[in-house]
Amino acid sequence: MRIPALACSLLLIAAAAVSAQPPMVVKSEADRVASIAKVKPAVVAVFARGGQGGGTGVLINKEGYALTNFHVVQPTGPTMQCGLADGVLYDGVVVGIDKVGDVALIKLLPKKVGDKVVFPNKEGEFPFAEMGNSDLVREGDWSIAMGNPFLVATDFTPTVTFGLVSGVHRYQPPAGIFLEYTDCIQIDTSINPGNSGGPLFNLKGEIIGINGRGSFDKRGRINSGVGYAISINQIKNFMGHLQAGIDTDHASLGALVRSEVEKVGIGRAKVTVVLEDSDVARRGLIEDDVVMSFAGRQITSDNHYKNIVGIFPRGWRLPLEYKRGDTQKEILVRLMGIQRKEINDGAAPPPDNKQPPKGKGGPQGEGAKFYEPKPGYANFYFNRQEKQRVFTAFKKISDLSKNTGDWNIEGTVRQLNAVANSPSLFEIKEKGATTTTTVKLGPFVDKLDEPVDNTKEARMVPRGSGGLAAAIYLWRTMLTAGEKGFTECVHGGMEPLYPPPGVGIGDKKWMDQRVDADVLNTVKGVYHTKWFFARSDQKLLGMEVRVGDLSDEPCEVYFSDYKEVNGRQLPHRIQVFHKDVHYGTFTITKHDLK
Amino acid sequence: MIRKNFFRLSACVLLVGLTAMAGRAQESMTKTAVNVNKKMVKLFGIGGFKGLPSYGTGILVSEKGHILTVNNHILINPGILVHVYDGRRYQARVIAREPALDAAILEIDEEVVALPHYDFDQETARPTAENGDWILAMSNQFKIGVGDEPMSVQRGVIAAAADLRGRRGVFDAPYAGDVYFLDVIACNPGAAGGALVNRKGHLLGLLGRELKDTRIDTWINYAVPVQATAEVSREGKIEKVSLADFVKLGIQKKYKEGDKAIRVDKGGFHGITLVVKAVSSVPPYVEEVMLGSPADKAGLRPDDLILYVEGFSVPTITSFLDVMKQYGPGSDVDLQYQRGNKLEKVRLKLTDPPKVPAAN
Repeated sequence: MRIPALACSLLLIAAAAVSAQPPMVVKSEADRVASIAKVKPAVVAVFARGGQGGGTGVLINKEGYALTNFHVVQPTGPTMQCGLADGVLYDGVVVGIDKVGDVALIKLLPKKVGDKVVFPNKEGEFPFAEMGNSDLVREGDWSIAMGNPFLVATDFTPTVTFGLVSGVHRYQPPAGIFLEYTDCIQIDTSINPGNSGGPLFNLKGEIIGINGRGSFDKRGRINSGVGYAISINQIKNFMGHLQAGIDTDHASLGALVRSEVEKVGIGRAKVTVVLEDSDVARRGLIEDDVVMSFAGRQITSDNHYKNIVGIFPRGWRLPLEYKRGDTQKEILVRLMGIQRKEINDGAAPPPDNKQPPKGKGGPQGEGAKFYEPKPGYANFYFNRQEKQRVFTAFKKISDLSKNTGDWNIEGTVRQLNAVANSPSLFEIKEKGATTTTTVKLGPFVDKLDEPVDNTKEARMVPRGSGGLAAAIYLWRTMLTAGEKGFTECVHGGMEPLYPPPGVGIGDKKWMDQRVDADVLNTVKGVYHTKWFFARSDQKLLGMEVRVGDLSDEPCEVYFSDYKEVNGRQLPHRIQVFHKDVHYGTFTITKHDLK
Repeated sequence: MIRKNFFRLSACVLLVGLTAMAGRAQESMTKTAVNVNKKMVKLFGIGGFKGLPSYGTGILVSEKGHILTVNNHILINPGILVHVYDGRRYQARVIAREPALDAAILEIDEEVVALPHYDFDQETARPTAENGDWILAMSNQFKIGVGDEPMSVQRGVIAAAADLRGRRGVFDAPYAGDVYFLDVIACNPGAAGGALVNRKGHLLGLLGRELKDTRIDTWINYAVPVQATAEVSREGKIEKVSLADFVKLGIQKKYKEGDKAIRVDKGGFHGITLVVKAVSSVPPYVEEVMLGSPADKAGLRPDDLILYVEGFSVPTITSFLDVMKQYGPGSDVDLQYQRGNKLEKVRLKLTDPPKVPAAN
């Protein structure tokens, strides 16, 4: 008899508490409800065509791009169906995939009735959620997960679950080499089968992660109080690649690191193995060096190290600080891929056996019109789109398509260890099928006749530059002929570039010099060139030319000090580096482009 | 009593819980999590067999590195590896155990000072938590972290403070007594020994083992309150010990473990002999009833078929024996059985087993 009485009194207390909540409580609840209402329309229920299987996604812009898990689109194939909370089922198509990171970018297509776009509105603009900054998330913060657990909602209305962030910067090892969760967010917010690919929001309704897996052990594949979301900041690193339709790869530094603990003390990340053909080996890292930081983040254990290396795409250059004895040094390292053994960052990814996702019966529906298969790509259609975007914007800044005559670019050059500037000249002449590029540095003259000079040595002039004459020749090709000047030209996603400040390398930290760039990879004869266009205004900021071997150190050319010449933006400073050495800084005084 | 009213009670608990949560919804728990984490350690010992983890969690109870944890298999070997919150690593060994409290004290082998820790006396001096109280559970479940990576933090509500029937066949736990049952899935692999705290970071209890109710195949999540007590037998005498005494004396290396004998099968004597269990699915038919036994006094006879014990269906001999193990000498047990076409009900009063001469 005692307990029912207690139960009643508890009920009364509860009722009293509900009605007498302080205004702050009422407000915080209202805020949460408002946040959920705001982002709900952006949550996508992803199904394979025909309604089989499925997961969740979240729209990130009005064009209809949405994030989900790779393991959600793997069974759906390149085209899928996507339900929004408005109750409408849209056609979708895969754009880019990240198998290791378990991420896929898909695009929803506006729904037409007859010829007219009707859904989601007559402009075809989708509702979307903003991406937040997952580096600001801490354990103990609140989080909201939305999605379609157990595929309960047949009208596509997402289920909302609410919980705590249990940990951040977590590492969950891969199954094989795929689905490695590095630097992920651990949550007690309930996620279940069907939540995969769905958004994890902070209380402001910003996307902080994509829910993807849990720790299950012996309790079956349902919520165990331990779920993991891929951090949105990791996905942002891959976004340029995903948008360009690439089947992306994660990276390895080319060195193994082990947590080493002094008998009693703080862990250190000590280098145990350095791969001979890795970039990090060429930059001078050796066994027993202690890695202090990578990409601006401190490293004290191998989990830290794996976390930080794991959030970047292959091919990116990132600064690494290490300690040898008492000296600390910072180097800029090119990351190797982990899915493919060879370092091949010059051009299109080599063909690989792992094809983009294939559904039963191939692409279908409206999405099939936006799908183009190509080895190494999730969907090459979007690579063409991205490439077009770069060229269109670039042409607006400097259209030199008519200037196919002789080029004379005069100026002065300051070389390594030189006390004074010397006069310089780049001269390019086309005669029949031969193009002659002349580089004059003070009294020294080097010539490259394309395609007559066919030894590697002849192509690498001037000595010590790694192929500056070839770079100038290719630069003119890019400016005058664009895509048509090359046998192959693909968009390579987004990469950071570290333009050197002023003359020489300077003493600024690499991270402070970082600029995000659209990358184009071109092939012309033996030349593999990587081009960097500023994401902000599509100015050409730099290029890396490799003559022949892709594992060779490239000739790095940086263009800056853009000024208008005859209505076109042209660089007035050209800086050249090879093997981390400053070869020369050119100050251009006259562009004579016939 | 407790079981009968549990659901009504938990409905109220839920309401109160929700109200409490709403009030704190926007407030981040980061500060509490960071503070509690400093007083916790990751433990690495023996395991990796039979689905048992080789890792666990512990709570620092002295600045010199005394650690309170669950007395489980990872402590079988004397050398335990300890990771402190800031990444320092030490060797530790067990200096006290009490199976009846399912607790152990470890000591770090080296000279350490000024470790953040819980003053256990201070924590136990607080009143126990109530049903519906809002809690955080922190542990290194699933060995997600090593070195200086912080513990996982989860939030939930105390669903009920009730008796853990730590007996074989139901919850196979050495500790039987009052525990906090949690609505959060906190008792995952490696979580045992973790901290149950309130919003302010006050220590409420020690997270329990992975336990499954074998009758309904459901995992439970619980924590042993810091105020827990247990009865132990020492040289034939029953004594009451508290977790606080255990911690205090354990640190001083003065704690004397109870005799092991008390923790044998608790099932009381009923006097029923069942038919031969030829296959695993043989139902519990009575073969014989011992003269003068509780079953005899209650009127059970050979060929009766036992159907329910305390309302639990017992379709096989195994399930009957398992359920009966929960009821010790002195317990009253309701049995329902079938005799001919009739369903009958009796109440047995279990006794101590009769003194039988050595095996004949």
